[in-house]
Formats: sequence, C-alpha cells, structure tokens
Amino acid sequence: MGALDGLMQGFQVAFSLQGIMFVLIGVVTGTLIGMMPGLGPISAIAIMIPVTYGMDPSAALVMMAGVYYGAVFGGSTSSILLNAPGISGTVATAFDGYPMAQRGEAGKALAIAAISSFTGGTVSVVLLMLFAPALAQVAVSFGPPQYFALMFLGLTAISSLSEGSTIKALIAATLGFIAATIGMDAQTGTTRFTFGTPNLIEGIDFLVIALGLFAIAEVCFLIINRKDKSLSKQSDIGNLKLSKEDLKEMKGPMTRQSFLGFILGVLPGAGATIASFIGYITEKRIAKKPEEFGKGSVRGVAAPETANNAATSGAFVPLLSLGIPGSGTTAVMLGAFLVLGIQPGPLLVQDRPEVFWGIIASMYIGNVFLLILNLPLIPYIAKILKISRPMLISLVIIFSLIGVYSISFSTFDLYLLLIFGVIGYLMRLFSFPAAPFILAFILGGMMEQALRQALTASGGNLAILVSDPISISLLIVSALSFVVPLIRIRKKDATQD
Amino acid sequence: MLKTMNQKISVFLILFGIGYLYLSYNLKEYPYVPVDSDLVPKALGYLLVGLAVLLFFDKSSETEEQKKKRSVPKKELMVILAVGGMIFLYIFLFEIVGFLIATALFIFFCSWFLGYNRWVSNLLVSLIFPSVLYYLFNYLLQIRLPQGILPF
Repeated sequence: MGALDGLMQGFQVAFSLQGIMFVLIGVVTGTLIGMMPGLGPISAIAIMIPVTYGMDPSAALVMMAGVYYGAVFGGSTSSILLNAPGISGTVATAFDGYPMAQRGEAGKALAIAAISSFTGGTVSVVLLMLFAPALAQVAVSFGPPQYFALMFLGLTAISSLSEGSTIKALIAATLGFIAATIGMDAQTGTTRFTFGTPNLIEGIDFLVIALGLFAIAEVCFLIINRKDKSLSKQSDIGNLKLSKEDLKEMKGPMTRQSFLGFILGVLPGAGATIASFIGYITEKRIAKKPEEFGKGSVRGVAAPETANNAATSGAFVPLLSLGIPGSGTTAVMLGAFLVLGIQPGPLLVQDRPEVFWGIIASMYIGNVFLLILNLPLIPYIAKILKISRPMLISLVIIFSLIGVYSISFSTFDLYLLLIFGVIGYLMRLFSFPAAPFILAFILGGMMEQALRQALTASGGNLAILVSDPISISLLIVSALSFVVPLIRIRKKDATQD
Repeated sequence: MLKTMNQKISVFLILFGIGYLYLSYNLKEYPYVPVDSDLVPKALGYLLVGLAVLLFFDKSSETEEQKKKRSVPKKELMVILAVGGMIFLYIFLFEIVGFLIATALFIFFCSWFLGYNRWVSNLLVSLIFPSVLYYLFNYLLQIRLPQGILPF
C-alpha cells in the first residue's frame, strides 16, 4: 500500500464521526490534565489508558494522540497564564509568554502559542510520514544485536541529556532496569526477585510506575504548595487577535523551529524540553533585537512552542518505525500501545497499515482541533485552574488509583503504586530525574531479551554485539553522548576559575 | 565521614546494590541455556554499585535551588504523611466497603483535611464524582469496580 492510499485510509478512520469524537475527547482531556501544574503528557496518557479498554485500537490510538498533543498545549497555557509550566517542555514558553500576559496580552500570547504549535506539529507530521516508513524498511533487517545497541543508545542519550547530574540520571536508569528484572524470566521461566509472592510473577505493571513516579509524586509537591493563591488570580486574558506584524514576526522562527524541533525529537533522549530550549536560544541569537527576549517578545513565544510540538511528533518516528521509545513520554505511549495489543515496530506499517496511518492522520486532525477548538475555548478551559488545590489533589489521587486498579484488579498493585509514589517523591527531592527510570523500565525487558538472544546465537561470545557496522556505530554514538555533559562540566569549571 | 547528602544516598545505593547482587547470585540455575537469567541482574548490580561509588566521590555539589527544593518544613511533611495514611486506608477499605463509599469518604475527608472548607460543594463533589466514575466504568466500559456492601 502506498503512502497516499494509507493516509487516505487513515483519514477515513480519523474522520469518521467516532474518530472525530475521540480526537475531541482526547484533545480536551489532554489540555485539561496538561494545564495542571506538574501533570504532563506522561500522567495524562497514563490516566487515560484504562478508558481505552475494549475500544477499537485505531480509535483508541486516535484519542491517545489527541491526549498527547492536548497535554503539551495545556502545559503552554499554564506557562503563559501563571508562569507555572505544567511540564518541562513548556518552561521556555513562560520566558516571554508570562511577561506578555502581565502586560494584559495573555490572549495574544495564547494565540501565538496555538498557531506556532499547529505549524510545528503539522510540518513535523508531514516529515514523520515521509521518514517513518523508510526507517521501518531499514529496520526490518535488524537483529537482536542491532536492537540491543539501539536501545542502549536510547538509554545513554536520555541519561546524558537530562538536566542535572549525569551520574544521577544513570543511576535512575539502572534502577529502572532493575525494576524491570522483577518477575518471571521470559526465556527460562525462573522467577526473579518476587520474594515468594504470586503478585510479582508477572512483574510490575508499567502503569504503576508511570503513575507512581509522576502523578503521585507530583501530588506531594501540590500538597506543599496547596496554599499558593496565584492559580485563582488569573481573570482577564485579553484579545486573542494577532496583527499582521505579529504574524510576520512569527514566520521565521516557525519555519526554522519546525525542522530543528523535528530532528531533535527524532533523536533519542532529546525530546520536547531540549528542543524548546534550543529553539529559544537559537532564535534569540539570530534575532535582530535580542534584547526584546524575556520581556514578552513574539518570537520568544513562537520559537519554543513550534519546537516543542515539532519534537513531540518527531519522537513518534523511532516509536512507530523501530518500536523503541526515545523519551519518557513515548515510553508510556508504547505501554499504551501494548495494552491495546499493538506492537509498534518495523512491521507495523506492513501488518497493521490501518493503525499506522490512522495515527498519522489523527495527528493532523489533532493539530487542527487544537487550533480551532482550543483557541475559542481557552477562556473557559482556563477556569479549571480555579479549582481549589485541595480538591484537585484528592481527584488526582483517585484517578491514579482507579487507573491502576482497572488494569490489574488487585489492591497489591495499589500499595505498590503508593510505594513508587514515595520513591518518585524522594527522587525529585534529591534531584534524580524520573524520565530515565521509566524509559529503562520499559526498555529493560526488551533489552535483556535482545542481549540474551544475541548471546545465545553466538554461544555466549560478546563479540556478536560489535560484529556489524550498524551496531558498532550505534554503540560509538552512545559513548559519544557522554561527551556532551563532560563539555558542560568543563565549561562550568572554566567559568568558575 | 558522610558530609554531603550525595554521600549518604550513595551509601544507601551501594547497600541496595549489594543486596540485589546477593539475590542475583542465588537465582535458580537453568542448565540448558548458554546465558542464564542471572546474567543481566548481576551486570546491573555491579553497574549500580559502580555508579554509586562514582556518586560518592562526585565533587559537584548541590545547587542552591536544589537545596531549597529539598528543605521541606516538618509540618508539611506531616501533612504528606497524613495524606499517605489516608491513601493507605482507602486501599485497605477499597474492596471491603466498595468503590463508591470508599471514594466518597476519601474525597470528602482528604479535601477537607487539606483546607477545603466549602462544605456543600465538597459534599456534592464527593457524591457526584464517584457516582459518575462508577457508572462510566461499570456500565459503559464494562470494568468492574468493587461494589462492596452496596447492592449495585
């Protein structure tokens, strides 16, 4: 099936009445959840997984794509209105969006954000459509050694690129991998680290970890800041209209950042956060009036918003074509796929074209919906920020608990969720990033299988891991990914001296 | 001896790693494969211990921002613990008294405890929210939440 036929078929799935309804539900819920301080796409997707049970997989995925987009956009809304980014991917948006809002131009900032997000998202979906099937064709020939090297690269990249100490990020990744070794071994049937309880034989469910490390851990911070009144202050958002000059200003950053953001999204480990910061910095550097940045510049909002959305779709390239997530969010997305009985990977385009193209088509539609639906609704959606914090905290806790219970029907998993909430809180307290943990947890099982299959084939000889150019180059790139933090440390030392 | 927070964490991680390694060395052997199920856990255990040692000698200290984030007032910590206790109680009662009653009680008391003092709206939310969820899950999504002592 050609790309065009596939896309048409995808549009049929997404443009059916049912499809549109699900995109709509996804975008709105995603926006609502993404607006909550601290709750980002990971929590949004995790909370929505139980709702997709029993749904037709294509429809469910259409909804999930909507949730993902909506959550990223919701994060921008709270960045602009409150200077309280819902997620790290929208921190850079607050630099200029919040000053604009303080000038009474919140509406304008939101409109810029919506249009830039739409542009970044759409351009990047076109690129995704062109690249993912091609990459999948290459990946069909991959064997266990190549897959192992690829996943290894994903883990080292996310660790070396995460904020703060690289050692802590690596420790987080190792702990995530360790959590993945709990349960029955897939090859030999040996039960590992289950301490005799039958509840652990199937391992820990990824939803327990995702909701524990992200949603429940964030609840602790919400509790501490529950008396923060800034949330209820926001009232008037001003006019949503943009002038011709504004649009002219946005054109440059939007074009450049759509492509740059996409590339950064495809690369393992980078993702929306890094794309938005790099987008902001590059635009500031090449701007004619860099002094305007930070004081409510149009370009300063357009750049990170284009970049983070472009990266969001870019991150789907490795997920859809290789079956390997490159970020915490796509890792949870992979979990959602598996729950629906879909195994993303090189064969997805061939075996389940309706699913593959359905996702792509739903991304187009999700973007359009974000633009035409969210923009006029923003004044009303923003009201959710007025929900009193104590009530919000109780509801988030209930949502997380029900999410886990409806997947496992066991209270054991609920206690486990509580434990991972505590672990997640401690990790944040001591500045251990949680994204490498969740990515390692999801990749852990796959990586171990790939490694052992490779070693079984070679009779235990480790040389098989470096026996062909693809795996060698991937492993070299993983080693090189540690050069980045080293340079950062050097620079820091140099400036201190 | 243990001057920085990183060193304390490091010691904890080393102990955890050793415990994990001990369990890995005691995994049952499966004689018919060239690589057994203990290979990866052992590698991970050594990796963790190695990284924890690196963390111990890591010179980079915490930034002011990180320290600020870590300093949680005792009173707030007690509040978090209390909410944790409520969640524990909720899980404990969940399958016994059922979803509806447990959830209504949890939302009402947790919100009230955290400082939500509009009684009427609190009461309304704690009754309506669980009922809607229960209907949605049990009848529309066919996911059975525990009915507990109620007849529906």
